[in-house]
Amino acid sequence: MSEELLQQLAVCVERGKVNQASPYPPDMKGQDGADELTRKALDQGVSPNDVLEKALIIGMGNIGKKFSANQVFVPDVLMAAKAMTAAMGHLKPFLDSGQVKTRGTFVIGTVQGDLHDIGKNLVCMVMEGGGWKVVDLGVDVSPEKFLAAVQANPGAAVGLSALLTTTMVNMEKTVKLIKGEVPGTKVVVGGAPLTQEFATKIGADAYSPDPQGALDYLNINVAA
Amino acid sequence: MTLTGAERIANILRRKPVDRIGLFEHFWGDTQKKWAREGHLKEGESLADHFGFDIETGGWFNMTANLDFEPVVVEETEDTVLTRDGNGALLRRHKRHDATPEHVDFLVKDRAGWEEHIKPVLRPDRRRTDFTAYREARRHAAGAQRFFCWGGTNVFELMHPVCGHEYMLMGMAVDPGWVKEMVGTYADLIIEMMEMLFGEEGWPDGIWFYEDMGFKGRPFMSAEMYREIIQPGHRKTIDYVKSRGVPVIMHSCGYVEPLVPGMLEAGIDCLQVIEVKAGMDLVKLYRDFGDRLSFMGGMDVRVLYTNDTSRIDAELRAKIPVVKANYGYVLHSDHSIPDQVEYESYRYFTRKGLELGSYNGR
Repeated sequence: MSEELLQQLAVCVERGKVNQASPYPPDMKGQDGADELTRKALDQGVSPNDVLEKALIIGMGNIGKKFSANQVFVPDVLMAAKAMTAAMGHLKPFLDSGQVKTRGTFVIGTVQGDLHDIGKNLVCMVMEGGGWKVVDLGVDVSPEKFLAAVQANPGAAVGLSALLTTTMVNMEKTVKLIKGEVPGTKVVVGGAPLTQEFATKIGADAYSPDPQGALDYLNINVAA
Repeated sequence: MTLTGAERIANILRRKPVDRIGLFEHFWGDTQKKWAREGHLKEGESLADHFGFDIETGGWFNMTANLDFEPVVVEETEDTVLTRDGNGALLRRHKRHDATPEHVDFLVKDRAGWEEHIKPVLRPDRRRTDFTAYREARRHAAGAQRFFCWGGTNVFELMHPVCGHEYMLMGMAVDPGWVKEMVGTYADLIIEMMEMLFGEEGWPDGIWFYEDMGFKGRPFMSAEMYREIIQPGHRKTIDYVKSRGVPVIMHSCGYVEPLVPGMLEAGIDCLQVIEVKAGMDLVKLYRDFGDRLSFMGGMDVRVLYTNDTSRIDAELRAKIPVVKANYGYVLHSDHSIPDQVEYESYRYFTRKGLELGSYNGR
Protein backbone atom coordinates (compact mmCIF):
# COMPACT_ATOMS: atom_id res chain seq x y z
CA MET A 1 0.00 0.00 0.00
CA SER A 2 2.73 2.43 1.01
CA GLU A 3 4.74 1.52 -2.11
CA GLU A 4 1.76 2.46 -4.26
CA LEU A 5 1.34 5.73 -2.37
CA LEU A 6 5.01 6.58 -2.83
CA GLN A 7 4.76 5.83 -6.54
CA GLN A 8 1.75 8.14 -6.79
CA LEU A 9 3.68 10.82 -4.93
CA ALA A 10 6.65 10.45 -7.28
CA VAL A 11 4.29 10.91 -10.23
CA CYS A 12 2.78 14.02 -8.64
CA VAL A 13 6.23 15.58 -8.25
CA GLU A 14 7.28 14.64 -11.77
CA ARG A 15 4.06 15.95 -13.30
CA GLY A 16 3.98 19.09 -11.13
CA LYS A 17 0.73 18.24 -9.35
CA VAL A 18 1.06 20.50 -6.31
CA ASN A 19 -2.20 19.86 -4.48
CA GLN A 20 -5.80 18.90 -5.04
CA ALA A 21 -6.85 22.47 -5.82
CA SER A 22 -4.25 22.92 -8.54
CA PRO A 23 -5.69 22.74 -12.07
CA TYR A 24 -2.33 21.53 -13.39
CA PRO A 25 -1.76 19.17 -15.06
CA PRO A 26 -5.23 19.18 -16.62
CA ASP A 27 -5.46 15.37 -16.74
CA MET A 28 -4.94 15.18 -12.95
CA LYS A 29 -7.49 17.85 -12.06
CA GLY A 30 -9.30 17.11 -8.79
CA GLN A 31 -6.83 14.43 -7.70
CA ASP A 32 -4.69 14.61 -4.59
CA GLY A 33 -1.32 16.27 -5.19
CA ALA A 34 2.13 16.14 -3.62
CA ASP A 35 0.86 18.10 -0.63
CA GLU A 36 -1.94 15.71 0.33
CA LEU A 37 -0.07 12.51 -0.56
CA THR A 38 2.98 13.43 1.52
CA ARG A 39 0.76 14.11 4.53
CA LYS A 40 -1.08 10.86 3.93
CA ALA A 41 2.14 8.87 3.65
CA LEU A 42 3.51 10.27 6.91
CA ASP A 43 0.15 9.69 8.63
CA GLN A 44 0.24 6.08 7.48
CA GLY A 45 3.62 5.65 9.13
CA VAL A 46 5.88 5.80 6.09
CA SER A 47 9.24 7.04 7.28
CA PRO A 48 10.19 10.58 6.22
CA ASN A 49 13.37 9.18 4.72
CA ASP A 50 11.37 6.84 2.50
CA VAL A 51 9.12 9.71 1.44
CA LEU A 52 12.20 11.67 0.42
CA GLU A 53 14.24 8.86 -1.14
CA LYS A 54 11.52 6.70 -2.68
CA ALA A 55 9.17 9.36 -3.92
CA LEU A 56 10.35 12.96 -4.01
CA ILE A 57 13.89 12.34 -5.24
CA ILE A 58 12.58 9.81 -7.79
CA GLY A 59 10.02 12.28 -9.13
CA MET A 60 12.45 15.19 -9.39
CA GLY A 61 15.10 12.88 -10.85
CA ASN A 62 12.71 11.82 -13.60
CA ILE A 63 11.86 15.40 -14.55
CA GLY A 64 15.55 16.39 -14.42
CA LYS A 65 16.47 13.58 -16.81
CA LYS A 66 13.64 14.51 -19.18
CA PHE A 67 14.80 18.14 -19.08
CA SER A 68 18.33 17.05 -19.97
CA ALA A 69 16.91 15.10 -22.91
CA ASN A 70 14.83 18.11 -24.07
CA GLN A 71 11.65 16.10 -23.50
CA VAL A 72 10.25 18.72 -21.12
CA PHE A 73 10.86 22.45 -20.73
CA VAL A 74 11.32 25.06 -18.02
CA PRO A 75 7.61 25.36 -17.12
CA ASP A 76 7.49 21.61 -16.41
CA VAL A 77 10.56 21.79 -14.16
CA LEU A 78 9.17 24.81 -12.32
CA MET A 79 5.90 23.02 -11.63
CA ALA A 80 7.71 19.87 -10.47
CA ALA A 81 9.78 22.01 -8.11
CA LYS A 82 6.62 23.63 -6.79
CA ALA A 83 5.13 20.21 -6.07
CA MET A 84 8.40 19.17 -4.43
CA THR A 85 8.33 22.29 -2.24
CA ALA A 86 4.78 21.50 -1.13
CA ALA A 87 5.88 18.03 -0.11
CA MET A 88 9.06 19.25 1.58
CA GLY A 89 6.96 21.50 3.81
CA HIS A 90 5.77 18.34 5.57
CA LEU A 91 9.31 16.98 5.88
CA LYS A 92 10.83 20.18 7.27
CA PRO A 93 10.43 19.22 10.95
CA PHE A 94 12.25 15.94 10.26
CA LEU A 95 15.02 17.71 8.35
CA ASP A 96 15.39 20.27 11.15
CA SER A 97 15.61 17.53 13.79
CA GLY A 98 18.14 15.54 11.76
CA GLN A 99 15.80 12.56 11.41
CA VAL A 100 16.01 12.99 7.65
CA LYS A 101 19.51 13.37 6.30
CA THR A 102 20.29 15.38 3.21
CA ARG A 103 22.90 14.17 0.77
CA GLY A 104 25.08 17.14 1.53
CA THR A 105 25.17 20.91 1.32
CA PHE A 106 25.45 22.75 -1.96
CA VAL A 107 26.45 26.40 -1.97
CA ILE A 108 25.43 28.11 -5.18
CA GLY A 109 25.39 31.58 -6.70
CA THR A 110 25.89 33.62 -9.84
CA VAL A 111 29.39 35.06 -9.90
CA GLN A 112 30.26 38.69 -9.26
CA GLY A 113 29.14 41.14 -11.93
CA ASP A 114 26.43 38.84 -13.24
CA LEU A 115 22.78 39.29 -12.30
CA HIS A 116 21.28 36.42 -14.30
CA ASP A 117 19.55 33.86 -12.17
CA ILE A 118 17.24 31.61 -14.19
CA GLY A 119 19.80 28.89 -14.82
CA LYS A 120 21.03 29.06 -11.25
CA ASN A 121 17.47 28.82 -9.90
CA LEU A 122 16.80 25.72 -11.99
CA VAL A 123 19.92 24.10 -10.57
CA CYS A 124 18.74 24.98 -7.04
CA MET A 125 15.40 23.30 -7.68
CA VAL A 126 16.89 20.13 -9.10
CA MET A 127 19.50 19.90 -6.33
CA GLU A 128 16.88 20.35 -3.60
CA GLY A 129 14.74 17.82 -5.38
CA GLY A 130 17.75 15.52 -5.38
CA GLY A 131 17.96 15.59 -1.61
CA TRP A 132 20.59 18.28 -1.12
CA LYS A 133 20.48 21.21 1.27
CA VAL A 134 20.93 24.27 -0.93
CA VAL A 135 22.51 27.50 0.27
CA ASP A 136 21.54 29.98 -2.44
CA LEU A 137 23.75 33.07 -2.28
CA GLY A 138 21.83 34.77 -5.08
CA VAL A 139 23.38 36.80 -7.88
CA ASP A 140 26.45 39.03 -8.19
CA VAL A 141 28.25 37.05 -5.48
CA SER A 142 31.82 38.01 -4.66
CA PRO A 143 34.55 35.36 -4.31
CA GLU A 144 34.84 36.29 -0.63
CA LYS A 145 31.14 35.67 -0.05
CA PHE A 146 31.39 32.24 -1.66
CA LEU A 147 34.37 31.45 0.54
CA ALA A 148 32.55 32.57 3.70
CA ALA A 149 29.62 30.29 2.83
CA VAL A 150 31.94 27.33 2.24
CA GLN A 151 33.68 27.95 5.56
CA ALA A 152 30.31 28.21 7.31
CA ASN A 153 29.18 24.91 5.78
CA PRO A 154 32.08 22.47 6.17
CA GLY A 155 32.15 19.84 3.45
CA ALA A 156 29.81 21.77 1.18
CA ALA A 157 30.16 21.52 -2.57
CA VAL A 158 29.94 24.69 -4.66
CA GLY A 159 28.10 25.64 -7.84
CA LEU A 160 29.11 28.73 -9.82
CA SER A 161 26.93 30.16 -12.57
CA ALA A 162 27.76 32.81 -15.18
CA LEU A 163 25.89 33.98 -18.24
CA LEU A 164 28.10 36.81 -19.34
CA THR A 165 31.42 36.16 -21.02
CA THR A 166 32.82 39.16 -19.19
CA THR A 167 32.12 37.62 -15.78
CA MET A 168 33.88 34.34 -16.50
CA VAL A 169 37.05 35.91 -15.16
CA ASN A 170 35.31 36.29 -11.78
CA MET A 171 34.47 32.61 -11.89
CA GLU A 172 38.16 31.83 -12.16
CA LYS A 173 38.96 34.11 -9.21
CA THR A 174 36.27 32.40 -7.12
CA VAL A 175 37.50 28.89 -7.91
CA LYS A 176 41.08 29.85 -7.05
CA LEU A 177 40.08 31.46 -3.75
CA ILE A 178 37.94 28.51 -2.64
CA LYS A 179 40.48 25.90 -3.71
CA GLY A 180 43.27 27.89 -2.07
CA GLU A 181 41.52 28.39 1.26
CA VAL A 182 39.48 25.19 1.53
CA PRO A 183 41.32 22.56 -0.50
CA GLY A 184 39.24 19.55 -1.48
CA THR A 185 36.04 21.54 -2.00
CA LYS A 186 34.29 20.28 -5.12
CA VAL A 187 33.32 23.08 -7.51
CA VAL A 188 30.88 22.62 -10.39
CA VAL A 189 30.43 25.38 -12.97
CA GLY A 190 27.78 26.09 -15.58
CA GLY A 191 26.27 28.80 -17.75
CA ALA A 192 25.86 29.81 -21.36
CA PRO A 193 29.40 30.84 -22.27
CA LEU A 194 31.11 27.96 -20.46
CA THR A 195 32.73 24.85 -21.82
CA GLN A 196 34.47 21.82 -20.34
CA GLU A 197 37.73 23.27 -21.64
CA PHE A 198 37.19 26.50 -19.70
CA ALA A 199 36.16 24.61 -16.55
CA THR A 200 39.34 22.55 -16.68
CA LYS A 201 41.46 25.63 -17.33
CA ILE A 202 40.20 27.48 -14.25
CA GLY A 203 40.55 24.44 -12.00
CA ALA A 204 36.87 23.59 -11.50
CA ASP A 205 36.10 19.95 -10.80
CA ALA A 206 33.25 19.66 -13.25
CA TYR A 207 31.28 21.49 -15.92
CA SER A 208 27.63 20.69 -16.40
CA PRO A 209 25.48 21.94 -19.27
CA ASP A 210 22.29 21.27 -17.29
CA PRO A 211 21.04 20.88 -13.69
CA GLN A 212 20.80 17.10 -13.80
CA GLY A 213 24.45 16.81 -14.79
CA ALA A 214 25.47 18.79 -11.69
CA LEU A 215 23.29 16.59 -9.48
CA ASP A 216 24.64 13.38 -10.99
CA TYR A 217 28.24 14.53 -10.55
CA LEU A 218 27.74 15.52 -6.92
CA ASN A 219 25.78 12.38 -6.06
CA ILE A 220 28.69 10.28 -7.28
CA ASN A 221 31.58 12.40 -6.05
CA VAL A 222 30.42 14.17 -2.91
CA ALA A 223 27.15 12.83 -1.47
CA ALA A 224 27.19 11.38 2.01
CA MET B 1 26.24 47.35 -58.82
CA THR B 2 26.77 49.26 -55.60
CA LEU B 3 23.76 49.59 -53.36
CA THR B 4 23.06 51.94 -50.48
CA GLY B 5 22.67 50.38 -47.06
CA ALA B 6 18.92 50.92 -47.25
CA GLU B 7 18.66 49.20 -50.63
CA ARG B 8 20.98 46.38 -49.61
CA ILE B 9 19.13 45.45 -46.41
CA ALA B 10 15.72 45.79 -48.09
CA ASN B 11 16.87 43.22 -50.64
CA ILE B 12 18.58 40.96 -48.10
CA LEU B 13 15.38 40.73 -46.07
CA ARG B 14 13.61 39.51 -49.22
CA ARG B 15 16.61 37.40 -50.36
CA LYS B 16 16.96 39.39 -53.58
CA PRO B 17 20.32 40.01 -55.33
CA VAL B 18 22.71 42.46 -53.68
CA ASP B 19 26.32 43.56 -54.18
CA ARG B 20 27.52 42.17 -50.84
CA ILE B 21 26.23 40.77 -47.56
CA GLY B 22 24.99 43.35 -45.06
CA LEU B 23 26.89 44.72 -42.07
CA PHE B 24 25.68 45.65 -38.64
CA GLU B 25 26.79 45.17 -35.03
CA HIS B 26 26.00 45.77 -31.37
CA PHE B 27 28.74 46.74 -28.91
CA TRP B 28 29.13 46.85 -25.16
CA GLY B 29 29.27 50.43 -23.88
CA ASP B 30 32.71 49.68 -22.41
CA THR B 31 34.01 48.63 -25.84
CA GLN B 32 33.20 51.97 -27.40
CA LYS B 33 34.79 53.78 -24.42
CA LYS B 34 37.94 51.67 -24.64
CA TRP B 35 38.34 52.13 -28.38
CA ALA B 36 37.79 55.88 -27.96
CA ARG B 37 40.45 55.98 -25.20
CA GLU B 38 42.82 54.18 -27.53
CA GLY B 39 42.23 56.84 -30.17
CA HIS B 40 40.37 54.68 -32.68
CA LEU B 41 37.09 56.57 -32.35
CA LYS B 42 36.49 60.29 -32.07
CA GLU B 43 34.53 61.67 -29.13
CA GLY B 44 30.84 60.92 -29.71
CA GLU B 45 31.49 59.43 -33.15
CA SER B 46 28.71 57.22 -34.47
CA LEU B 47 29.76 53.57 -34.77
CA ALA B 48 27.47 53.23 -37.79
CA ASP B 49 29.37 56.06 -39.50
CA HIS B 50 32.76 54.78 -38.41
CA PHE B 51 32.31 51.20 -39.56
CA GLY B 52 29.92 51.89 -42.45
CA PHE B 53 26.99 49.88 -41.14
CA ASP B 54 23.96 49.31 -43.33
CA ILE B 55 21.44 49.64 -40.52
CA GLU B 56 20.52 52.19 -37.89
CA THR B 57 17.99 51.64 -35.16
CA GLY B 58 15.89 53.98 -33.07
CA GLY B 59 12.62 54.20 -31.26
CA TRP B 60 11.69 51.95 -28.33
CA PHE B 61 8.50 52.24 -26.33
CA ASN B 62 8.42 52.65 -22.58
CA MET B 63 6.02 49.85 -21.69
CA THR B 64 6.24 50.30 -17.91
CA ALA B 65 2.68 49.74 -16.79
CA ASN B 66 2.14 52.73 -14.53
CA LEU B 67 3.86 55.78 -16.00
CA ASP B 68 2.77 57.95 -13.07
CA PHE B 69 4.36 55.72 -10.45
CA GLU B 70 7.39 57.25 -8.78
CA PRO B 71 9.89 54.52 -7.88
CA VAL B 72 9.92 53.90 -4.12
CA VAL B 73 13.15 53.07 -2.30
CA VAL B 74 12.40 50.04 -0.14
CA GLU B 75 15.91 49.39 1.18
CA GLU B 76 19.31 50.95 0.74
CA THR B 77 22.72 49.57 1.69
CA GLU B 78 26.25 50.75 1.07
CA ASP B 79 26.33 48.92 -2.26
CA THR B 80 22.76 48.54 -3.44
CA VAL B 81 19.40 50.20 -3.57
CA LEU B 82 16.15 48.26 -3.71
CA THR B 83 13.22 50.00 -5.41
CA ARG B 84 9.66 49.18 -6.45
CA ASP B 85 9.01 50.26 -10.04
CA GLY B 86 5.96 51.10 -12.13
CA ASN B 87 5.57 47.43 -13.08
CA GLY B 88 5.23 46.49 -9.41
CA ALA B 89 8.64 44.80 -9.55
CA LEU B 90 11.24 45.05 -6.80
CA LEU B 91 14.57 45.81 -8.44
CA ARG B 92 17.98 45.81 -6.83
CA ARG B 93 20.51 48.12 -8.48
CA HIS B 94 24.18 48.43 -7.71
CA LYS B 95 25.44 51.87 -6.85
CA ARG B 96 29.07 51.27 -7.77
CA HIS B 97 28.71 49.77 -11.21
CA ASP B 98 26.35 49.98 -14.13
CA ALA B 99 24.53 46.68 -14.62
CA THR B 100 21.12 45.22 -15.35
CA PRO B 101 19.06 45.35 -12.15
CA GLU B 102 18.26 42.16 -10.29
CA HIS B 103 14.53 41.36 -10.17
CA VAL B 104 13.84 40.48 -6.56
CA ASP B 105 10.05 40.15 -6.34
CA PHE B 106 6.85 40.98 -8.18
CA LEU B 107 3.38 42.15 -7.24
CA VAL B 108 2.09 40.10 -10.16
CA LYS B 109 2.36 36.38 -9.60
CA ASP B 110 -0.91 35.29 -11.19
CA ARG B 111 -4.00 36.47 -13.05
CA ALA B 112 -5.41 38.34 -10.04
CA GLY B 113 -2.23 40.41 -9.63
CA TRP B 114 -2.16 41.20 -13.34
CA GLU B 115 -5.79 42.31 -13.32
CA GLU B 116 -5.36 44.42 -10.20
CA HIS B 117 -2.00 46.10 -10.80
CA ILE B 118 -1.12 46.10 -14.49
CA LYS B 119 -3.96 45.68 -16.94
CA PRO B 120 -5.93 48.79 -15.87
CA VAL B 121 -2.96 51.11 -16.46
CA LEU B 122 -1.59 49.65 -19.70
CA ARG B 123 -2.90 52.32 -22.01
CA PRO B 124 -1.44 54.02 -25.06
CA ASP B 125 0.18 57.27 -23.99
CA ARG B 126 2.37 59.80 -25.78
CA ARG B 127 4.83 59.58 -22.89
CA ARG B 128 5.62 56.02 -23.90
CA THR B 129 7.82 57.15 -26.77
CA ASP B 130 10.17 59.95 -27.70
CA PHE B 131 8.83 61.43 -30.91
CA THR B 132 11.77 63.80 -31.35
CA ALA B 133 14.42 61.12 -30.90
CA TYR B 134 12.64 58.84 -33.37
CA ARG B 135 12.35 61.67 -35.91
CA GLU B 136 16.03 62.55 -35.60
CA ALA B 137 17.23 58.95 -35.78
CA ARG B 138 15.09 58.34 -38.85
CA ARG B 139 16.38 61.52 -40.48
CA HIS B 140 20.01 60.62 -39.71
CA ALA B 141 19.60 57.15 -41.20
CA ALA B 142 17.96 58.58 -44.32
CA GLY B 143 20.82 61.08 -44.70
CA ALA B 144 23.33 58.25 -44.55
CA GLN B 145 21.16 56.11 -46.84
CA ARG B 146 20.95 53.41 -44.18
CA PHE B 147 18.09 51.02 -43.51
CA PHE B 148 16.24 52.45 -40.52
CA CYS B 149 14.66 50.06 -38.02
CA TRP B 150 12.37 50.93 -35.17
CA GLY B 151 13.53 48.64 -32.37
CA GLY B 152 11.53 47.46 -29.39
CA THR B 153 10.38 44.49 -27.39
CA ASN B 154 7.49 42.21 -28.24
CA VAL B 155 5.16 40.28 -25.95
CA PHE B 156 7.53 37.74 -24.36
CA GLU B 157 10.02 40.40 -23.30
CA LEU B 158 7.21 42.66 -22.07
CA MET B 159 5.66 40.14 -19.70
CA HIS B 160 8.62 39.11 -17.58
CA PRO B 161 9.42 42.60 -16.24
CA VAL B 162 5.93 42.48 -14.72
CA CYS B 163 5.88 38.97 -13.25
CA GLY B 164 9.36 37.52 -13.75
CA HIS B 165 10.33 34.56 -15.88
CA GLU B 166 9.37 31.99 -13.28
CA TYR B 167 5.80 33.15 -12.66
CA MET B 168 5.32 33.74 -16.38
CA LEU B 169 6.54 30.27 -17.30
CA MET B 170 4.56 28.59 -14.51
CA GLY B 171 1.56 30.60 -15.66
CA MET B 172 1.97 29.12 -19.12
CA ALA B 173 1.48 25.70 -17.55
CA VAL B 174 -1.08 26.41 -14.83
CA ASP B 175 -3.15 29.22 -16.31
CA PRO B 176 -2.35 29.56 -20.02
CA GLY B 177 -5.48 31.69 -20.44
CA TRP B 178 -3.93 34.35 -18.19
CA VAL B 179 -0.66 34.45 -20.12
CA LYS B 180 -2.58 34.53 -23.42
CA GLU B 181 -4.47 37.52 -22.11
CA MET B 182 -1.22 39.29 -21.23
CA VAL B 183 0.10 38.47 -24.70
CA GLY B 184 -3.03 39.90 -26.32
CA THR B 185 -2.99 43.03 -24.18
CA TYR B 186 0.64 43.80 -24.95
CA ALA B 187 0.20 43.03 -28.67
CA ASP B 188 -2.68 45.52 -28.82
CA LEU B 189 -0.65 48.14 -26.97
CA ILE B 190 2.34 47.70 -29.32
CA ILE B 191 0.04 48.25 -32.30
CA GLU B 192 -1.66 51.27 -30.72
CA MET B 193 1.71 52.84 -29.96
CA MET B 194 2.97 52.15 -33.47
CA GLU B 195 -0.11 53.79 -34.90
CA MET B 196 0.53 56.81 -32.68
CA LEU B 197 4.23 57.16 -33.48
CA PHE B 198 4.38 56.11 -37.11
CA GLY B 199 1.09 57.85 -37.95
CA GLU B 200 2.69 61.11 -36.90
CA GLU B 201 6.34 60.62 -37.85
CA GLY B 202 6.25 58.12 -40.69
CA TRP B 203 7.07 54.43 -40.84
CA PRO B 204 10.60 53.06 -40.54
CA ASP B 205 12.13 50.81 -43.22
CA GLY B 206 11.94 47.81 -40.90
CA ILE B 207 10.80 46.68 -37.47
CA TRP B 208 13.20 44.99 -35.09
CA PHE B 209 11.54 43.03 -32.28
CA TYR B 210 13.65 41.85 -29.35
CA GLU B 211 12.42 38.57 -27.84
CA ASP B 212 14.85 36.53 -25.73
CA MET B 213 13.09 33.18 -25.79
CA GLY B 214 15.91 30.76 -25.15
CA PHE B 215 18.92 30.00 -23.04
CA LYS B 216 21.73 27.49 -23.28
CA GLY B 217 20.71 24.45 -25.26
CA ARG B 218 16.95 24.96 -25.09
CA PRO B 219 14.13 27.45 -25.47
CA PHE B 220 12.20 28.55 -22.38
CA MET B 221 9.13 26.75 -23.72
CA SER B 222 8.24 23.94 -26.08
CA ALA B 223 7.39 24.66 -29.70
CA GLU B 224 3.79 23.69 -28.91
CA MET B 225 3.61 26.14 -26.04
CA TYR B 226 5.10 28.85 -28.26
CA ARG B 227 2.47 28.24 -30.91
CA GLU B 228 -0.40 28.16 -28.43
CA ILE B 229 0.53 31.10 -26.20
CA ILE B 230 3.16 33.44 -27.66
CA GLN B 231 2.72 33.09 -31.41
CA PRO B 232 -0.72 34.77 -31.49
CA GLY B 233 0.89 37.97 -30.16
CA HIS B 234 3.75 37.74 -32.65
CA ARG B 235 1.35 37.03 -35.49
CA LYS B 236 -0.90 39.95 -34.57
CA THR B 237 1.89 42.53 -34.32
CA ILE B 238 3.76 41.21 -37.37
CA ASP B 239 0.57 41.06 -39.47
CA TYR B 240 -0.03 44.70 -38.60
CA VAL B 241 3.52 45.73 -39.54
CA LYS B 242 3.51 43.72 -42.75
CA SER B 243 0.14 45.14 -43.78
CA ARG B 244 2.20 48.32 -44.32
CA GLY B 245 4.74 46.41 -46.39
CA VAL B 246 7.41 46.71 -43.69
CA PRO B 247 9.70 43.71 -42.98
CA VAL B 248 10.37 42.28 -39.51
CA ILE B 249 13.65 41.23 -37.93
CA MET B 250 13.31 39.22 -34.72
CA HIS B 251 16.11 38.99 -32.19
CA SER B 252 16.41 36.18 -29.74
CA CYS B 253 19.28 35.24 -27.52
CA GLY B 254 19.65 31.60 -26.56
CA TYR B 255 18.82 28.38 -28.33
CA VAL B 256 15.55 28.90 -30.18
CA GLU B 257 15.92 26.60 -33.17
CA PRO B 258 12.84 24.51 -32.20
CA LEU B 259 10.78 27.72 -32.25
CA VAL B 260 11.92 28.89 -35.69
CA PRO B 261 9.15 27.15 -37.68
CA GLY B 262 6.57 28.85 -35.45
CA MET B 263 8.33 32.21 -35.77
CA LEU B 264 8.26 31.80 -39.56
CA GLU B 265 4.53 31.08 -39.40
CA ALA B 266 4.16 34.29 -37.41
CA GLY B 267 5.78 36.11 -40.33
CA ILE B 268 9.35 37.06 -39.41
CA ASP B 269 11.67 37.90 -42.31
CA CYS B 270 15.01 37.67 -40.52
CA LEU B 271 16.31 35.89 -37.42
CA GLN B 272 18.97 37.62 -35.34
CA VAL B 273 21.33 36.94 -33.32
CA ILE B 274 21.96 33.16 -33.56
CA GLU B 275 23.98 32.67 -30.39
CA VAL B 276 26.60 30.00 -31.00
CA LYS B 277 27.50 29.51 -27.34
CA ALA B 278 23.86 28.67 -26.62
CA GLY B 279 23.93 25.97 -29.31
CA MET B 280 22.64 27.83 -32.39
CA ASP B 281 24.22 26.81 -35.68
CA LEU B 282 24.03 29.37 -38.48
CA VAL B 283 24.91 26.96 -41.27
CA LYS B 284 22.36 24.39 -40.14
CA LEU B 285 19.68 27.07 -39.85
CA TYR B 286 20.55 28.30 -43.33
CA ARG B 287 20.24 24.78 -44.74
CA ASP B 288 16.91 24.18 -43.00
CA PHE B 289 15.27 27.59 -43.45
CA GLY B 290 17.45 29.67 -45.80
CA ASP B 291 14.92 29.60 -48.62
CA ARG B 292 12.34 31.31 -46.39
CA LEU B 293 14.32 33.25 -43.83
CA SER B 294 17.21 35.73 -43.76
CA PHE B 295 19.79 35.73 -40.99
CA MET B 296 21.86 38.24 -39.07
CA GLY B 297 24.60 37.12 -36.68
CA GLY B 298 25.83 33.65 -35.84
CA MET B 299 29.56 34.53 -35.81
CA ASP B 300 31.01 33.21 -32.56
CA VAL B 301 32.16 36.21 -30.55
CA ARG B 302 34.39 33.94 -28.45
CA VAL B 303 36.50 33.59 -31.57
CA LEU B 304 36.71 37.36 -31.93
CA TYR B 305 38.01 37.87 -28.45
CA THR B 306 40.88 35.49 -29.00
CA ASN B 307 42.06 38.40 -31.19
CA ASP B 308 43.66 35.72 -33.37
CA THR B 309 43.13 36.65 -37.01
CA SER B 310 43.67 33.09 -38.23
CA ARG B 311 40.81 31.89 -36.01
CA ILE B 312 38.60 34.81 -37.05
CA ASP B 313 39.42 33.99 -40.66
CA ALA B 314 38.46 30.33 -40.14
CA GLU B 315 35.14 31.30 -38.51
CA LEU B 316 34.24 33.58 -41.43
CA ARG B 317 35.36 31.11 -44.11
CA ALA B 318 33.37 28.28 -42.54
CA LYS B 319 30.12 30.22 -42.62
CA ILE B 320 29.93 33.10 -45.08
CA PRO B 321 30.42 31.20 -48.36
CA VAL B 322 27.50 28.96 -47.34
CA VAL B 323 25.05 31.45 -45.90
CA LYS B 324 25.52 34.16 -48.55
CA ALA B 325 24.17 31.91 -51.30
CA ASN B 326 20.55 33.10 -51.09
CA TYR B 327 21.47 36.79 -50.61
CA GLY B 328 19.90 36.65 -47.15
CA TYR B 329 22.74 37.35 -44.71
CA VAL B 330 23.90 40.30 -42.58
CA LEU B 331 27.31 40.01 -40.91
CA HIS B 332 27.03 40.42 -37.13
CA SER B 333 28.53 38.64 -34.12
CA ASP B 334 26.40 36.11 -32.27
CA HIS B 335 25.57 38.68 -29.58
CA SER B 336 27.63 41.84 -29.19
CA ILE B 337 31.26 42.92 -29.06
CA PRO B 338 32.76 43.03 -25.55
CA ASP B 339 35.82 45.09 -24.70
CA GLN B 340 38.14 42.06 -24.86
CA VAL B 341 37.89 42.39 -28.63
CA GLU B 342 40.66 44.63 -29.93
CA TYR B 343 39.72 47.32 -32.41
CA GLU B 344 42.01 45.82 -35.05
CA SER B 345 40.42 42.38 -34.59
CA TYR B 346 36.98 43.81 -35.20
CA ARG B 347 38.29 45.75 -38.20
CA TYR B 348 39.74 42.53 -39.58
CA PHE B 349 36.43 40.72 -38.96
CA THR B 350 34.44 43.25 -41.00
CA ARG B 351 37.03 43.65 -43.77
CA LYS B 352 37.47 39.93 -44.27
CA GLY B 353 33.77 39.21 -43.78
CA LEU B 354 32.71 41.68 -46.45
CA GLU B 355 35.42 40.43 -48.78
CA LEU B 356 34.05 36.90 -48.46
CA GLY B 357 30.53 38.27 -48.66
CA SER B 358 30.98 40.11 -51.92
CA TYR B 359 28.93 39.05 -54.95
CA ASN B 360 31.10 40.91 -57.46
CA GLY B 361 32.31 38.52 -60.11
CA ARG B 362 29.70 35.96 -59.18
